[in-house]
Amino acid sequence: MSSAILDVQGVGKSFPGVKALSDVNMKVHPGEVVAFVGENGAGKSTLLKILCGDYTLDEGTVYLDGAEVSHASPLEARDAGFRLVRQEPEIVPHISAAENIFIGEYPRLPGGRVDHAEMRRITTDLLERYGFAGVLDIDALGRTLSPAQQHIVEILRALKEGVKVVAFDEPTSSLTTKEADRLFALIRKLREEGLGIIYVSHRLHEVMAISDRVVVLKDGVPTGNLMIKDTDEEEIVRLMVGRELAHGYKRDEVTTDEVVLEVENLRSRWHDGISFQIRAGEIVGFAGLVGAGRTELAKVLFGEFEKEGGTVKICGDVKDIRSPADAIAANIGFAPENRKAEGLILVRSVIENASMAVYSALARFGILRTQQMVDKVSPFVRQLEIKTPSMEQEVGKLSGGNQQKVVLARWLAAAPRLLILDEPTRAVDVGAKAEIYRLIDDLAKQGMAIMMISSEMPELLSMSDRIIVMRDGVISDPIEKKDATEEAIVNFALGTKAA
Amino acid sequence: MPTEDKTVSITEQAAPQMAPEGPGLFKRITNAVGAENLSLVIALIIMVALITTQTEFFFSPRNLMNIGQNMAVVGLIAVGMTLVIVSAGLDISVGSIAGCASVVCALTVTQMGTVIGGVAFGMGIGVVLGLINATIISILRVNPVVATLATFSAFRGVAFLIAPGGRPIGVLDQNLAWLGSGRLFQTETFPGLPVAFIILIIVACVAHFVMSSTVFGRSIYSMGGNPVAARLAGINLTRMRYAIYAISGALSGLAGVIVTARTSSGQPASGTQGLELEAITAVFLGGALMAGGKGTIVGSMLAVLLLATLSNGMNLLGIATFYQLVAKGLLLVLAVAIGQWRLARAEKQQSKLAAAGK
Repeated sequence: MSSAILDVQGVGKSFPGVKALSDVNMKVHPGEVVAFVGENGAGKSTLLKILCGDYTLDEGTVYLDGAEVSHASPLEARDAGFRLVRQEPEIVPHISAAENIFIGEYPRLPGGRVDHAEMRRITTDLLERYGFAGVLDIDALGRTLSPAQQHIVEILRALKEGVKVVAFDEPTSSLTTKEADRLFALIRKLREEGLGIIYVSHRLHEVMAISDRVVVLKDGVPTGNLMIKDTDEEEIVRLMVGRELAHGYKRDEVTTDEVVLEVENLRSRWHDGISFQIRAGEIVGFAGLVGAGRTELAKVLFGEFEKEGGTVKICGDVKDIRSPADAIAANIGFAPENRKAEGLILVRSVIENASMAVYSALARFGILRTQQMVDKVSPFVRQLEIKTPSMEQEVGKLSGGNQQKVVLARWLAAAPRLLILDEPTRAVDVGAKAEIYRLIDDLAKQGMAIMMISSEMPELLSMSDRIIVMRDGVISDPIEKKDATEEAIVNFALGTKAA
Repeated sequence: MPTEDKTVSITEQAAPQMAPEGPGLFKRITNAVGAENLSLVIALIIMVALITTQTEFFFSPRNLMNIGQNMAVVGLIAVGMTLVIVSAGLDISVGSIAGCASVVCALTVTQMGTVIGGVAFGMGIGVVLGLINATIISILRVNPVVATLATFSAFRGVAFLIAPGGRPIGVLDQNLAWLGSGRLFQTETFPGLPVAFIILIIVACVAHFVMSSTVFGRSIYSMGGNPVAARLAGINLTRMRYAIYAISGALSGLAGVIVTARTSSGQPASGTQGLELEAITAVFLGGALMAGGKGTIVGSMLAVLLLATLSNGMNLLGIATFYQLVAKGLLLVLAVAIGQWRLARAEKQQSKLAAAGK
């Protein structure tokens, strides 16, 4: 076992009052893919941050290719050969893709000038070698890059001379299936080249497909270090959460005839004649690839983006929705996908965030008492089991799952007829996911119409009464629950076969 | 996710705040001032202690009332500035608006002989100029700093243009003068409360109520904290901006009227220059965040008091004005640096929580 390229021995890290990691032992060998899995907060990020030098460890030692790097700074870790591919790369908007790739380590000409020719040559080589030729224009400015292209830039940043271990942090979260496949091909190639690879992901089927070994963390303690060929998803989940997890979520069907949302021939910059209905008590899942226009559809319906034609009826009445305020007045709620950027005011309290959409409804003559806000939203905060020390706590200080629940609490308080949920369980851990499903189910039972955009197949299949698949701004006919299969959805989404 | 029971029950925790059993005196003071303002109060106490060791005159009623008098003009502007900065904006043009209002007020009183008209037109021009700021920011989509930097210059020019010959306009009106330097409850031994200070107190109390207990006020915090999320929660950002800059303009106008009243002349420049710096300093010193979403009227007012005490103390001790300017500049840097430090500490705390999975 002396051939390990990365050797982590007994590593522990404490924050005041919290043991974030304890006694982690693991090795990565050249040509091996090791996956880290665990719920949010299990310590995966802490471990990655120790390895790349963002945090210093309290106990234990780390060897990279035989040299001790336990207390390396970020620069030292990089120079020693450890590279992290971050989930949300920092891209400088006004410089080219190639310059973004080399930022901080530009090749130099004598006299200190940047060697642009050399930079372009290396970039072109890298693109070709790793199968990205034609996918990324090396002269394109940072701000014009799609999320997938930004991700390629971030990957190429890592693949410089002297790299020994590459860690991928949730690499597929913003990628389409096709892009993810390309990433897996790249990882396999890196494995052949003898690099050590760390793969951090929530998506267990990816972990099963790509890695050789898996390290399971639970509350900062390693609970498993297994060869993939000797284990299965069920076992990994059990090690992660310490309990067996029923697959999917079972819900009772509630069918009513009352049509809440009726969209006819809706057109916008992204959409070309979309018509569908959602009935009271019904959950309609919206499937499709990233970029198919689902989020945009939600935002057009909610008045955030401009509608260019067609009609939208709520409970039979035509509504002219030109702003989110109009949409709320028309009894529509919308929980956006990116809760930090679009859903929450991170510096304000739980109570303010949860009651924002009902300010006007609560106030009399524009006057709004804190007590009224507390009375209105605290039942929902309690029902959702939001873990917060107090209602005055800043939302930015809560965990991801609890933040998402605050967004949901806002719409529970507003009690709309139609609730649009965009990726309601994105970056939410397994336990909180089940609670959110139960809640969505309850809302439907109470007669709310729910439009649920999701990229997670099990979520769509188990939660939706009907599934509509979207591709390039058009939609499929709704697929009834009994007919819904992963193949039918994927085929329409990819355009391989008519659904 | 393992559930710890200690943090679940929210409603039970909210109730005890209303409990009749009064908390301790210290706790009551902290609640009244706001925990985040405690450092301001401590700084104020230290400064007062330092000044009193040097001069006994500081605590005389006359001097204290002078400080109140001197707070009024900056204080009124700082109230409006608090709204602007909490909404993640900035208004550099406030001093120039006050200059315009001072001239307009003086012209109205001298030409039409009505003090009420003078006050109304002074504040009215403030509203109009505030709306111009909001239009440049909302409709032309110019960054607030740049937009109000431009109007900072343009409005000052307007003030000189509307003053005949660009010179100060003398106003000899007893009623107007009362607004600027009148005193209430004057006795043999007590110099009386300055009318201008009372106006400030009333305005600040109303603003405090608006910020903490109205839909408008809560919406200012929301839009400042995250404009996109605020819009998606149904807040009309454009309308909010018009209202906020109009209020900032109106209060700057009122400040200009008080300058006219105090100096018995409409001043296009003198007396209103540099007010933006003092008001912005006060608001940041009072705990507002550069990025918006945080800040209170109480904090800003304590900071105005602190600044007024500082300048009063330095005057009493015979320190030259030049040093005062340097001291105020240092305070602005200190205020923002403390804010940044707090933010960094909060982020650190958050990453700790995230790492702990709480």
